Amino acid sequence: MSSEKKNEAIVTIKKIMKKISEDVIIQKQMPILDLPKVGYDNTVWSDEKRMLTIGDKKIEVSPDSVKKIPTFAQYLVMANAIKKLLDEDMESTIRGMYYATLSNVGDEKNKQKFWNNQDNSDDAIKAVELLTGIPREEFSVTSKPKGMISGPIKLRVGGDIIDCNLGSRSTSQLIPTNIGDVQIDDVKADFVMVVEKDTVLNNIRKSGFIQKYNAILMTGSGEPDRATRIMVKTLNESWKKPVVVFADADPWGLGIALRYKIGSESLSYDSDRLVTPDAQVLGMMFSDIYEYNIPEVARLTATDEDINRANDMKKKPWLQNKKWQKELNLFLNKKEKCELDAFFKHGFKYLAETYLPRKLRQVGII
Amino acid sequence: MKPLKPATSILKPDQQSQSQSQIQKVEKYKIIYNKKAESEFFVDNSALAGFTGERILYMAVRELIENALDSCETFSILPSIKISLKTFDQTNDLWILSCEDNGTGISSDKLPVAVCSFLTSAKYMEKQQRGLFGVGLKMVAAFTTKDTDFPIKVWNKSTEESDEYYFELRTDIGTNKPIVLKKSINKSESQIEGDSGFKIQVILRARLVPITKSKIYDYVTQTSIVNPYAFITFETDDGIFTFDRRTSIMPAPAKEILPHPSDMDLQTLKKAISKFAGQKITLPKILCSSFQKFSYDKAKEIVSSAHLDLDVKNPTVDFNEHDLIKIVNMCKKTKFQNPNTDHLSPIGQEILTIGMMSEYTIVSNKNNEGGASENNSNIVMVPQIKKSNNENDEYVDGDENNDKNISKNQINNNTNISKSNFSVKVLQPVLSAYTSRTGIINNRPTIIETGLAYGGDISSFKLYRFANKIPLLYDEGSDVAREVVSEVEINKMGITKKQAKEQFSTTNKESKRDRVIEVLPIHIFFHICSTKIPYKTAGKESIASEGELKSYMKSCLSELYRKLSTQIRKELKMKEAENKLKLYKHYLPFIVDAITESLGVKNSKLNESFSMLIEKHLTKKSNVDSVDNDDDYDNIPANNTNNITTNNTIVNGDPSSNTHSIQQPSNSKSFKIDLENRKKTESKKNNLTNHDQGAEGDFTFDASFNVTNDSNIKGNSNLMHKKSNNNRNKNKNSKGSKPIPNNNKFKNIKTTKKTMSDEYSKKKIKSADFHSTLDSFQQRRVNKGKIK
Repeated sequence: MSSEKKNEAIVTIKKIMKKISEDVIIQKQMPILDLPKVGYDNTVWSDEKRMLTIGDKKIEVSPDSVKKIPTFAQYLVMANAIKKLLDEDMESTIRGMYYATLSNVGDEKNKQKFWNNQDNSDDAIKAVELLTGIPREEFSVTSKPKGMISGPIKLRVGGDIIDCNLGSRSTSQLIPTNIGDVQIDDVKADFVMVVEKDTVLNNIRKSGFIQKYNAILMTGSGEPDRATRIMVKTLNESWKKPVVVFADADPWGLGIALRYKIGSESLSYDSDRLVTPDAQVLGMMFSDIYEYNIPEVARLTATDEDINRANDMKKKPWLQNKKWQKELNLFLNKKEKCELDAFFKHGFKYLAETYLPRKLRQVGII
Repeated sequence: MKPLKPATSILKPDQQSQSQSQIQKVEKYKIIYNKKAESEFFVDNSALAGFTGERILYMAVRELIENALDSCETFSILPSIKISLKTFDQTNDLWILSCEDNGTGISSDKLPVAVCSFLTSAKYMEKQQRGLFGVGLKMVAAFTTKDTDFPIKVWNKSTEESDEYYFELRTDIGTNKPIVLKKSINKSESQIEGDSGFKIQVILRARLVPITKSKIYDYVTQTSIVNPYAFITFETDDGIFTFDRRTSIMPAPAKEILPHPSDMDLQTLKKAISKFAGQKITLPKILCSSFQKFSYDKAKEIVSSAHLDLDVKNPTVDFNEHDLIKIVNMCKKTKFQNPNTDHLSPIGQEILTIGMMSEYTIVSNKNNEGGASENNSNIVMVPQIKKSNNENDEYVDGDENNDKNISKNQINNNTNISKSNFSVKVLQPVLSAYTSRTGIINNRPTIIETGLAYGGDISSFKLYRFANKIPLLYDEGSDVAREVVSEVEINKMGITKKQAKEQFSTTNKESKRDRVIEVLPIHIFFHICSTKIPYKTAGKESIASEGELKSYMKSCLSELYRKLSTQIRKELKMKEAENKLKLYKHYLPFIVDAITESLGVKNSKLNESFSMLIEKHLTKKSNVDSVDNDDDYDNIPANNTNNITTNNTIVNGDPSSNTHSIQQPSNSKSFKIDLENRKKTESKKNNLTNHDQGAEGDFTFDASFNVTNDSNIKGNSNLMHKKSNNNRNKNKNSKGSKPIPNNNKFKNIKTTKKTMSDEYSKKKIKSADFHSTLDSFQQRRVNKGKIK
C-alpha cells in the first residue's frame, strides 16, 4: 500500500484524538463519537444504486455513562493500535488486533476483560473504519484469506506476480486479503463465474471449463470475504467482464449469491466498494431441481428456518421481479432444496459440461 | 426421689447346696448382677451429661448459671448473678468456681439432697425450664468430691426461711447421699445480700484449654444476649466482666400444664389413674381432669368406643392394662385441639431484639500454654478484633509466669485490665426482624423464635442458637439450625448468590466457607422452646432435625429473609453503583493512554481534565439517579410544557385568553417568526461561545423551537430528543454537506428515557475545521462516518 495512504490514515486517527483531547482540556465538554449505526435496522435498499446502503441512524459514543465508557475506550484503544500498526509498517489480521489490545480492566475486586471476545474487537475495528472513513484494508488489518481464483488472470501483489492460469487444471490461488496491495495486471478471460463453494470450483476447474470457455472461476468459500467481493466488483466494473453467480438452490445459498449482487447488512456502509450490481445470479434455481431431474434422493427437505428465510426474502424489494417470486413460491410449495453438488448424481462432468454451459447460453454469455 | 439400695448380690441361697460339678460350672459361667447408685453411674458415665475431659469447667459454669436463672425466673425475680472462675492451685490444675444468685433459694432441710443427690429435682414437671434432669449441679458436687478433698460450700437464704444457712457438703458417690460436714446459721458475715439467694463455691480439678476458655466466655456472653434482663458479673483471672441489665421486662414464667391426650401412653394413663386410687370416680372424669383439651363428653365417647364400661366407679382396680391400652389406642386415633403453650416461656420479640442489639467482646490477654487450637494466641469473643492483641503472644499463661515477665504491655494490661479486655457494644443494625412459629414436635408444643440483625455496625455473619434460653455452642456443624441456614436460599432476600458474593465479600480470595450467607453482615438467632427439645446428645449441645422442626425453622428464616429483602437490595444497588463507578475510572487510563500515544505528546492536563470532567458528570448524574427515577422523569416534561406555555403567553400578550390547545395554531406563526429570529442570534452566539454556560436557557429555547415547528405541544419525553435531533440537523444544515433529513422522520427514533442532566451534559462536538478535513475523505467510498 502506498505510504501516502498510510500517512493519510495516521493523520486522520491523530485528528480524532486531537479533537477529543481539545474537547476535554480546552472546551471542558464530553467528547462524542458520532457514527452510523450498523445492522439490519439501519440498512436501506437503494433503487438507484441497486444495492443495500446504510441508513440515517446514528449512534453516539461518549464516555458519559457507565455503560458507554468501555465502548468509548475500546474505540480509542483500537484506533491507537491501528495507528501503531501503520507506524511500524506491519500487517495484522483482525484476530491479531484482538490479541494486541487484550487486557484486563479494574482492580482485583471488579475485574473485567477489555474485550469479551473477538467480536468486540471486530466491532471496534469497524467503528474505526466508520470514524475515519477509511476501509480497514488500508490500515493493513486483514482477515484470513479464503476466497479462491483460477483462470486467465494475472495479479500483482507488492512485487510478486501471481498467474492464476498455469494450465494444469489442478490448483487455484487464494485471493490475498490485503487487497490494497493487489493490482490486477492482465485479464484475458471473457467472463467471471462465481460459485458458492470451493468443492464445486475444483470440480469445474478440473473439467477444463476454464480453457474451453475462457472463464475466470472464483469462490468465496461460503460467505465471501471483502477481498473476494472487491475482486469481483473490480473485474466487472473496471475490466468490464460480465459476472455470473451460481449457488446452492436453497435460501441460504441464494443469500450468499446476493452478497455479491446487492451487498450485506453488516457491511452496508461499505457497499459502494464491495457490491457488484451487474452480477447475474443464474443458479441454481429452485426450478432447476425439477428441470434437470435431480433425483429425489439428492434433494433435501427444507427446514423451518429455510421457510422463514424464504418468506422474508419474498418481501425484499430486490427480489420483486416475477422470476424470483416464482422461484420462491416454488420453493415454498415444494419445500425442497438442493446443492450444486447434486448434479454429480448425473455424472462427475454433468455440472461443468452440461448444466453450466446450458445456463450460460440462456443468457448469452457463451 | 428413689429409695437408695445398696449394691447386693442376687445369687439365690439354694445355689449353695448344689453339687460340686454344678458349682464349678456355675463358677465358670457365673454372672454377678450389681445395683449401682445413681451417683456412681453418672460419675462413671459423666459424658452422658456432657462432663467430658476438657469441657468440665465449661459444663460446671453452665449448670450453675442455668440453675441460677431458673431459680429466679420461676418467680419472676429479675436475675442478678455473680459467677467467678479463678485459678486456685496452678500446679494441681485446681480451679475455684462460685456462683451466686438472687433466686428463691432452697429450703435448708432439702438443700443437701438438692445439691448432692442425683435425679433429685424440683423441675420434674411439664414446663419449660433450663434444667431437666436433676443431674447438672450434682455432677459438679460429685466431681469436687471425686477429685479433691475440699467441701462444697453453700450459702443459702430461702424465701421460706428468714435465716441464711451455711453448708459444707460432700457427696457419698457410692450411695448417692449427701454428706453434711457442716450446717450453721450464718448471722455475722452474711453472703447473700438480697431477701433470698443461693451461693455455691466448689473446687474443681481440670485443665482449661484455650478453646474451652473461649467457649466459657461465649457461653456467658450469649446467656446475657438471650437473657438481657439478667445482671451478670463474671470474674476470671482476666478480670471482672459486667453484663448490665438492659431491660426490666421478663418473659412470662412458664406454667405447669397437664399432658396432652395425643401424647398419652400406657404409663401416663396409669399414672393419672393411680392418683385417684381409692376414690369413687369414673374413668372419663379422671381423663378429663388429668389431660388438657379433653372434655368430659369426648372422654365418655372415647371410653365407650373402647367398649369399656362408662360407669365403673373404681378404675384403678377394675381396669387392667388390656383395657387401658384400648383407651390409649383410641386417643392416638382421635384428633384433639392443639395443646396450649402456657408451659412455654418464649423470649418474645421485644426482649430478643434488645438482646440482639448487644455485642460483647472479651479478649484474653494471656497466651495459654499448650492447646493447639487456632485460638492459641488469643481468646477472642468476636473474631474481627483478634488482630488487636497479637503483641501479647509472648506471654505465657499463669500468674507466676506473668509476674516474672513484666513489661510495658503487662503494666498497661494490669492497670487497665477490665477495660482493655472487655468491651460492650450496643449494636446499631440497620434492620432487625423477628418471627416465630408454634408447632407440635415430638408430640410437644414447640415455639420457634427467630431473629435477625443486619448491617450497621454488624460486620460479619454469626449464627446464634438457643434452646430454652440456653446458648448452644458446641457441635454447630451438626445442628439443625446450621442445616436450615444452608438450605434456605439467599434469593429469598431478592438477591442472587453471585451478587452477594461479589458485592459483600470483604476479601478478594474465594471464601473458604461455601455458604453465601456468611459473607453478609448478619446475625441470625434461633430459639427453640419446648419441654422435649430433640437434643442430639445428653450434653444439650445440638438439636436434631426432628419431625417438622426443620420446616418450621426454614419458614421462619425465609420470612426473615423476606423482611430483609428491601433493605439488602437497596444496599446491593448502592454497592453495585459504587463498584461501577470504580470500574468507570479504570477505563480512563485506557482512553488517556490511547490519546497521548497516538498524538505522541504527553499532556498531563488531559488525565486531570478528563477525570474532573467525568467526576463532575457522574456526581451530577448520581444526584439525579438517587431520586426516584420514574417520578423525576415524569416531572421534567411537565416543566417543559410549562415553560413553553409561558413563552406562548408572553408572545401572545394575552395571558387570560390563552388556552393553548385551541389557539396554538394561530399563535404559532407569529411565535415562529419571533423564535426564528431569536434562534438566529442565539445560534450565532452558540457558535462563538461555549455551550457550557446557560444550559438551562439553552434548553428552554430549543424546546420552544421544536414546539413551534411541529405545532405539537403535547409535552412528552420526545421533546428532548427532538431537540437533540434538531440540533444535529441545524448543524448539518450549516455545513451544507448533507441534505437536511425531515425533522418528523426523526421524531421517534430515540424513545429511550434520558435524564435531564444526561441531556445537558451532552455537548456536541461542533467543529467546522474538523468537518473540512473530513470532507476531503468523503470522496473515498467508505466515508459514511464522521465526528461531530
